[in-house]
Parts: sequence; C-alpha cells; structure tokens
Amino acid sequence: MPPSVSLGRSNRLGAGAVDAFAVLTRRSDITLVVALIVLIAFFAFTAEYFFTLRNLTNVLGQASLAMIAGIGVAIVFISGEVDVSVGSLQAAVAIPLIVIMNHTESLTLGLAGALALGLAIGVVNGYLSAYVGINSLIVTLGMLFVLRGGVYLYTGKTAIPDDVGLDSFFALGNESLFGVVPYPAVVAFVLLLVFMYVMRHRPFGRMVYAVGGNAEVARLAGYPVRWVKFVCFVISSLLATISAILLASRLGSAVHLSGLGFEFQVVAAVVLGGVSLSGGIGSLFGMALGVLILSFLSNGLGMLDLATEWQLVITGIIIIVAVAFDELKRRRA
Amino acid sequence: MPADLAVAEAPALALEMTGISKRFPGVVALNDVHLRLEPGKVHALMGENGAGKSTLIKILAGVYEKDSGTIRIGGREIEILHPSDALKRGIKVVFQEIALIAEFTVAENIFLEEYPVGRGGSIRWRTIRKEARALFERIGFDVDTDARTGALPVSQQQMVEIARALAHEARIVVMDEPSSSLTPNEVGLLFKVIRRLTSLGIAVLYVSHKLDEVFEIADTVTVLRDGRHISTRPIAEHTNDTLIQDMIGRRIETLFPRERGPASDRIALSVKNLSTAAKLKDISFEARAGEVVGFFGLMGAGRTELAKAIVGFDPISGGEISIGGKRLHPHDTRTAVSLGIGLLSEDRKGEGLMLELPVVTNLSLAALEEFARLGLIDESRERAAAQSFVDRFRIRTPSLEQPIKNLSGGNQQKVLLARWLMRGLSVIVVDEPTRGIDVGAKSEIFALIDRLASEGHAVVMMTSEMPELLGLSDRILVMAGGRITESFTREQATQEKVLNAAIG
Repeated sequence: MPPSVSLGRSNRLGAGAVDAFAVLTRRSDITLVVALIVLIAFFAFTAEYFFTLRNLTNVLGQASLAMIAGIGVAIVFISGEVDVSVGSLQAAVAIPLIVIMNHTESLTLGLAGALALGLAIGVVNGYLSAYVGINSLIVTLGMLFVLRGGVYLYTGKTAIPDDVGLDSFFALGNESLFGVVPYPAVVAFVLLLVFMYVMRHRPFGRMVYAVGGNAEVARLAGYPVRWVKFVCFVISSLLATISAILLASRLGSAVHLSGLGFEFQVVAAVVLGGVSLSGGIGSLFGMALGVLILSFLSNGLGMLDLATEWQLVITGIIIIVAVAFDELKRRRA
Repeated sequence: MPADLAVAEAPALALEMTGISKRFPGVVALNDVHLRLEPGKVHALMGENGAGKSTLIKILAGVYEKDSGTIRIGGREIEILHPSDALKRGIKVVFQEIALIAEFTVAENIFLEEYPVGRGGSIRWRTIRKEARALFERIGFDVDTDARTGALPVSQQQMVEIARALAHEARIVVMDEPSSSLTPNEVGLLFKVIRRLTSLGIAVLYVSHKLDEVFEIADTVTVLRDGRHISTRPIAEHTNDTLIQDMIGRRIETLFPRERGPASDRIALSVKNLSTAAKLKDISFEARAGEVVGFFGLMGAGRTELAKAIVGFDPISGGEISIGGKRLHPHDTRTAVSLGIGLLSEDRKGEGLMLELPVVTNLSLAALEEFARLGLIDESRERAAAQSFVDRFRIRTPSLEQPIKNLSGGNQQKVLLARWLMRGLSVIVVDEPTRGIDVGAKSEIFALIDRLASEGHAVVMMTSEMPELLGLSDRILVMAGGRITESFTREQATQEKVLNAAIG
C-alpha cells in the first residue's frame, strides 16, 4: 500500500495551543456551566435565603415551564426557523383543558383537548412556514396575536376557574416528587433527557441540525427538508402545551393573561444558551443552562431587593453581551 | 495481458448515457449527448463555459431531470429523479460548491445521507467514527475525522466528499472542476487519491477545462460544445491543439458590429503594479479613451478581482490606480464614481440591480445628485433623463415604473450600462457583460459597448467568452493565476494563442 498522504497532520500539530479555545468555542456549554456556578455561588454568599433547599427547588419549579417550552423553541431555531407563538399558546390551550374538565370531570379528556389544540396550532405554524414558505417569524408572530385575541374573545377577559378541583390535576403543578422535587421540574428533566437523546442520537435530530445548517446540502442528501421543519413546529407547540397544562394546574384556572411575554422569556433563554438564530447551531443542554441562569438571576436579584426595573435592565444586558460573545467566538473560529 | 477480443468487445460499462437532451426556456442545453464510463478509468469531460458540462453532471446527480435519453448502469436502465436516487445507484457527484454541513464534524458529514443505527434506532456514533477513519485510510488521506468540517481547507473538504462517496459504495465518482480552488500541491494530492479510486475499480468523470490536468490524469476525453457531443477519444490521440480545436470549433459569427474609429491617445485609466492580498500580482495596464481593452482568463485567473479592485470595491495591497490622471484612493467606491469609473458587475442580481424597484429608480441610482435640487429629487428631470436612455438604448420595458425584475436579462444589462452613462463616466468596467443573456440580446450589448467606445469612453471588459473577447477588444490582455501573462493586439490575437496564454 502506498504511504498515506498527510495533509491534515500539519494542521493538527500546531493546533495544541488553540485547542483550549477551540473547546470553549465548540462547547460554549462549558462557559455556561461556569457562569451558572459562579452565579449561584455569588447569590449564596450575598442573599441570605438563596441557598436553601426550599428556594432552590422553588426556582427549579419556576424554571421548568420555560425549560419545557424552550426545548421546542430551541429545536425550531436549530432547524433554521423561529417560533414566538408559545406565549399566547399557553393561555389558549388552557381553555379546552379547563372547560372540558369542568364538563366531564375527566383529567384525561381535558389533557386530550389541550393537546389537540396545541397540535392544531403546531400544524398550522408548520404548514404555513415549511410548506407554504411564509417567513416563520411572521407566521408565529401572527399566531401570537390571533391566539391572544381569541382567548380574550372567548373568556371575555376573565379567568375561567377550575370548578371540579380534581386532585390529580392539582398535583401536576403543585406537588413534589418525594416531597422535594416539584413535578414540573421532573417533567422538564425527563423531557430534556429524551430530546437531548433524540437530537444527538436519533437520525431525526441530525436531520434537524443538517436542515438548519444548510438546507440545500440537506436536500441534496435526500432529506425531506420541509417535513423536518414541519415536525419541529409541531414538537414546539406540543411542548408549549405541556408547559401550559402545568401552569394551569398551578393557577387552578385558565387565565386569559397567562403566558404574556413568556415567548420572549423563552427566546432569551434559548439564545443565551448558545442556540443560533440562523440555524444549525446550539444544544438543548445549552438551552437548559440558559433557562437556569436567567431563572437564578431573577430569583437572586429579587432576593437582593433589587427593583424589578433593574432586574430587567441587567437581564437584557447579559443576553446581549452573551450573544455578542458567542458571535465573536464564531467569527474567530 | 494478451488482448482478449471477446472481452474487449463487450467491456462492462460502469455508466452509459445515450441520447441525453435537456432544454431550458429559450435554450437547448444538451442535444443528443452520449457518454460512456469504464470502471477503473478516468474520463475527462471538457468544453467551454456553456458547453453543457454542468447540465450533464447535474442530470447525473439528480438535480435536473433529463428531457429524453437513457441512463444505464451496469447495463440496466435507471431513472434519476432526485439527488438521493443518484447516490442509491452508486453515483456521487462532488460539486465545486462543496455540499457539506460546515458545523458538523467530518465523520458526521460522511454519513450524512444515512446514519447507521443500532437495533433500537439510535445512531451508532462509535461505528461512524471508526468507519470514517477506515474510509480515509482506503483513499490514502489523513484527516481529523472529529474536526469541524467548516474549519478545514477546501482541499480537505473535497476529500471528505470523496470519502463520503466510498461510504455509499459509489461506483462512479464525478468531480466538477475539482482543482479550481486548489494549490498545485493540493492538485497533486487530489490526483493520488483519484488513482487510488480507480485502483478500487471506481469510474471517475473528471470535469475540467484545464488541458494540462486532463493530459495528466485522464484515460479518455469527451468534448462538448454548445450542448452537443463533439468527440470522444483516448487521451493519447489528442494534442493541445486538437483538444482546443474540439472545444472551440465554431467560427466567430459576425455578431460584432464595429463602427467606432481608432482610439484616441488620451489615457483614461492607468493601473500600475496593482496587487491584492488575495489574488492579484503586479498588474499594470492602461486604457485609452475610445478603446475596448479585453481581459481573458479561465476561472480563478483573477478577472473579477481585478475589476473590483480598479473600481475601488475591494481593498488593494499595493500599486496605484489613476483615472484621467487623478489618483484613486483604493477601496473607496464613492471617489471612484466621482472620478468617473464604474463597474458593470458579473453578478447582476447581487451587485447590480434592485430587483423589486422600478426601472427609473434603477437607472438614476448613481446620478441622483444631478437631479437633486435643494436636497430634493426633481422627479420630472429624473424621469426625462431615464426616458431618454430607455429610447436611446432601446430598453424594452412597458413603462419606467416596471419593477426591473420583470425585464429580460439583456434589457436589465442595458439599464445597468445606462446607469453609468447617466453619471457621465469616462471609464466603464464590464465583467462578463453577456452572462445569462440570449444570443439576440448579446449582439445588442455588443453594439452598445462599441458605441460607448465610439463616444469616447474607455471600456475595460472582463470575459471568459472567447468570441466576444476577439470580436470586441482593441487590445487583449490574458490573465492566469492573478497575473497578466500575455498581451495581444486585435490583429495578433487568435483563439489558440489566447487560450494557450490563459492555461499558462
């Protein structure tokens, strides 16, 4: 056999010095882990009741809703599209949930109703974006308005209370596994693991990355590009529906105002987690870290008695700086 | 090996294409073309730009669908309707634009089409990495399979594509101008890998217009011209001259009206020792008022780079440019335009037109100041000027309000030329002025260029089309590898001389 041609070698030899940087560049997750630890440590020392089991599980419970919806939104982003409809969706799907439960006294039917509406929303988002080819920011922004308006019309701008008060429904959002970990956090954790596995270890996950990375290459490789994007929108709506069910359980009613601004909370966490708006880049693990960082940040700043106005300003600055940092690293790579 | 007639009569063909035709609106891209590839051999496909090479390989790749003809693999007739069909039939096309996902690792890209999965449906990452390394061993090329693909040089990305072909057990590998972005050293490595492929019994179709490479690597050559099959011969039967003759063939039509007189002595543009960081080396030339200076070069010779540098679009690393005796500051299109030089870009849609906007707005873009009064645009003067150019240049448009995207390529090009004349430029640089324009409109563009020169403009024309180069230019400068390699007067130049200089 002729000796193998070695062109790659020279490239690799000098690379040792840059490797540490390369690791940070490719795995911005590590930076996020460090940031999260630093953040928690900071508040543990400065805020008296921050580092207590009660507060930490409380934050986890709050973060879990954004995390569940964030999985879907991150997947849509990775596929190269955008979904900002999840906020109004939270309010919308709670209506069939509560109304059906009030009529049938069945949790199962209520859940089915909520998931059916969530599925329908995902199908419309996905069909218009992937198959008709309308810019998904416009489609889902329109959906955001339509759903919110629909909720106001249907409810007459009031909350619809849960009149049945099923224990099983109450437990979903309010009780904890072994009395410690809130169920929403358990759901978020399980879903996160499942979708991390899908995105990394199932061919579908690779398809999503490929479609978002370069749709033309994906098409040449024989991928059903539109179908992949369509499925991503459906996943996103269904996951947002799950977060809405947990929220409704916590609130004990379908609240017309619930989820206001939620979409941007989720998008902020997703981009903070290193998921690129232009598609093909990012990980669900990063997204989860983004959610946790923002949640601990708002919790900790609140405990330091910082006015909410300042919390918003600080959160905004952190998001911009983090994304700018990501972008600069990417350009250097 | 003794000649065995029985076997020689019926050699198992890897691929046989017969009677392939393909038509696009207004153009016959391929007309009854045939091609036969033998296993373990390198077959070169040659021809000028527009000869039909790309169309043919895009049909093979499943990007285009043929209108008629048959494709056989190993004697069996097949249909290729989709890119994935090609791969399933063992055909892998390595395009010039590398089709890899930049963010994926090398190993991930190699198995892009189909990730091997275990019984539970999980991707078998360990197998993928192991097999990826094994594939590179087979083609005799060493690459870090865990590297991010986008971080690799193009030459290595090509190797990833080739390894990808092997991963799918491709029996036919098509390479489209593979050397166009490689250094000579890298071309050598590419050839080693190609020989390794043929030793594995794979048929290689090597699409190129570089004679030296074809003589080095190919066993057989097929030449296309104007969408027709011209010849298929063993490389040993060819010389440089016979190949060029097959490629060019036709006589130049009298598409080229010439009504202008001799050029004046006034130097309109002077370029001295111009270099850029990326491409150009030590370029010097002058263009006189009333003269058409034609630049010829093959792909990658540096024509477009030169065009962009002299109009101040791209930064330069050395040398100077003067227009009408005044020195142009490099990388400053604003001063360039005010000194009187403008570019008609080869990328009409990307760098020339504002597609959605009306004809009149596209026309007046560079001359807005001349219609401005107290900071406001005097629309009636703008329209009057636009109308006069529409009339003079016979720009066919229903109205000045028509969005320019609705005009034909030829008329769009006339609008762009008029844009610069409205500004009263002295030097006009045109880059591939007739790209994507049909023959009828071509002759009108040629007439316009002739008229520009006769009105005293200096025209610098970049082209890869031999006929328009020879038909329009007063002087011809040939580029290769970022340098001017040769210069001819109109009388001295012949196709063979120019092409030889361009091959360098």
